[in-house]
Amino acid sequence: MSDGKDRAAAAARPDIDAALTATNLTLQYPDSEAPVVDEVTLTVPRGQVTALIGPNGSGKSTLLRGLSGRLDPVSGSVTLGGRSLDEYGDRERARRLARLAQEPSGPDGLTVEELAYHGRYPHRGFLDTVEDVDVAAVNRALGTVGIEDLRDRPLADLSGGQRRLAWLAMVLAQDADILLLDEPTTFLDLRHQLAVMDVVRTLREDDETTVVLVLHDIEQAARYADEMVVLGDGRIRARGGPEDVLTPALLADVFGVEATVERGRYGPRLTMIGPADR
Amino acid sequence: MASELGDGERPAPTRRLAWVSRELVVIAAGSVGVILVAMTLQLSFGAYPLAPLDAWRTLSNPAVLGNEAAWRAFLLGGTVPEYETGTLIVWTIRLPRVLVALLVGVNLAVSGAILQAITRNELASPFVLGVSSGAGLAVLLTVVVFAGLLPFLPLFAALGGGIAFLLVYAIAWQGGTNPVRLVLAGVIVSSVFGSIQTGLFLLIEDVGVAQGVVAWTAGSLVGADWAQVRMLLPWTVIAVGSAFAGARELNVLTLGEETADSLGLSVERVRFLLSAVAVLAAATSVAAAGIVGFVGLVVPHIVRRSVGTDHKRLLVGCAFAGPALLVAADAGARLALNPAQVPVGIVTGLLGGPYFLYLMRKHGGFGGFR
Repeated sequence: MSDGKDRAAAAARPDIDAALTATNLTLQYPDSEAPVVDEVTLTVPRGQVTALIGPNGSGKSTLLRGLSGRLDPVSGSVTLGGRSLDEYGDRERARRLARLAQEPSGPDGLTVEELAYHGRYPHRGFLDTVEDVDVAAVNRALGTVGIEDLRDRPLADLSGGQRRLAWLAMVLAQDADILLLDEPTTFLDLRHQLAVMDVVRTLREDDETTVVLVLHDIEQAARYADEMVVLGDGRIRARGGPEDVLTPALLADVFGVEATVERGRYGPRLTMIGPADR
Repeated sequence: MASELGDGERPAPTRRLAWVSRELVVIAAGSVGVILVAMTLQLSFGAYPLAPLDAWRTLSNPAVLGNEAAWRAFLLGGTVPEYETGTLIVWTIRLPRVLVALLVGVNLAVSGAILQAITRNELASPFVLGVSSGAGLAVLLTVVVFAGLLPFLPLFAALGGGIAFLLVYAIAWQGGTNPVRLVLAGVIVSSVFGSIQTGLFLLIEDVGVAQGVVAWTAGSLVGADWAQVRMLLPWTVIAVGSAFAGARELNVLTLGEETADSLGLSVERVRFLLSAVAVLAAATSVAAAGIVGFVGLVVPHIVRRSVGTDHKRLLVGCAFAGPALLVAADAGARLALNPAQVPVGIVTGLLGGPYFLYLMRKHGGFGGFR
């Protein structure tokens, strides 16, 4: 579709202040035959919240792994602060860029505070003790997430939602200016979904921190993101502000659903009607 | 915002020894107690019985303690100066056996703790990466095929263990490794090597040699002396030192490779290096004492239940509890069927099996490292 291609080409935008740039990025897992992400070019604007949405298998999580350097590209490159990502040392990269995996798990006995201190790993030298900056960063992270009262509780005692917040605190303690969050709200109850997205909103108000997150809930993405990137079959199908991106035509084309889009108080509101005839 | 330091804040845990918890002190003190009791038994019982007090008096004999020539003989090899029989028996036969048990215990427990963290599996042990079968095969090959090389037996054991480990790593490697593939590769290598080992067994014609090999594969400290101490000591220091240096890396690895990678840990490199440390520790103890099972599996498990998952605490706890278990088990092995001696590995197996049975009954869902 020529329209889709034009939009994908427009994803490389030299005019915006880029925190992270992917150029012709093609990603593939060792045991898969076809690339999962196919020649994607994407500029992530600094200090903003970018949401990646798309149907299952569209390559959202894979793109996030590629952006974090976890998956080596088959071709193309990722640039962070003017340098290619693979030129960074592991710790150096981790001080700039943090990624929260989809379903992280740690030892049962680990307490929330201990977990948050692990976020300081890239900042601490070999055999370094805990410094005041580390303590401050951990306290700030626990405060931002709002789980100071859970500090001494082991992960095994927490609900799924509380546990996710604890991991979020660890990622925040890492003090990176780019955060990549992979489906941070999936499988959480409503209350904890809102708690997680509240943190995202706090980060959005902060001009220093760039957030890229994968979300399943399109309305949630539209409400909290400055930029939306729609993926389908490993390619970018649309990108821009939520109001511009979310159209009935796109929802039918990429997600295969028939839906109406209205302008609501907190961004576009979708009403699903049914599967679209393709 | 009121201040950077609100009510909920706590002072930085910067004090050097803040990580030493009460549980850890209890484990260490308990282990030292067990070691002292077992050591007293080991030093006093035997064909040349000594009263416990006499045994300790002999051990603190200034004529040995202050004698440079004696220490040179112990630590560097050579002729031991003339002493009376009791002194010689305590210092050259009974004490080195206790020391070997201590060192083997440290190595096995630390090795187990490392491997359990790396594979994120509480049921991993030093031998899950094929070290045991590799070392065992190397020993049998030496005995059966290259009998002339018998003096180098320990060296070959370590070499065999190392080769098996590299093989396991190569099989598990697929543009990277993961814990499950490592464990599976360990099973593959172990079963193939185990079969060859059993096959070779049938080729041994000398019954005495066969019996010696059986005892060795069961793990035995019979006849351990200063030569084994000399062999174990440097490697133990290196392995345990590196393990402590990597304690924080072990902690980060237990969060899973995705998270470890995101935190800036070079997962593959660190995992390989720490595996090498674990193999070194395990192979050294195999070379000195044969295949002593269950220590590397049970000790980290027990210690973790008490001190938690932090590896600084866990490794220190293992460095106390491992030797305690092995020295106690060896005292049992030596004295249970006196004057006959049982390989210590049989005692640790008899203790370790029921411990896991008890865990299985009490906690249905243990096994995962979560």
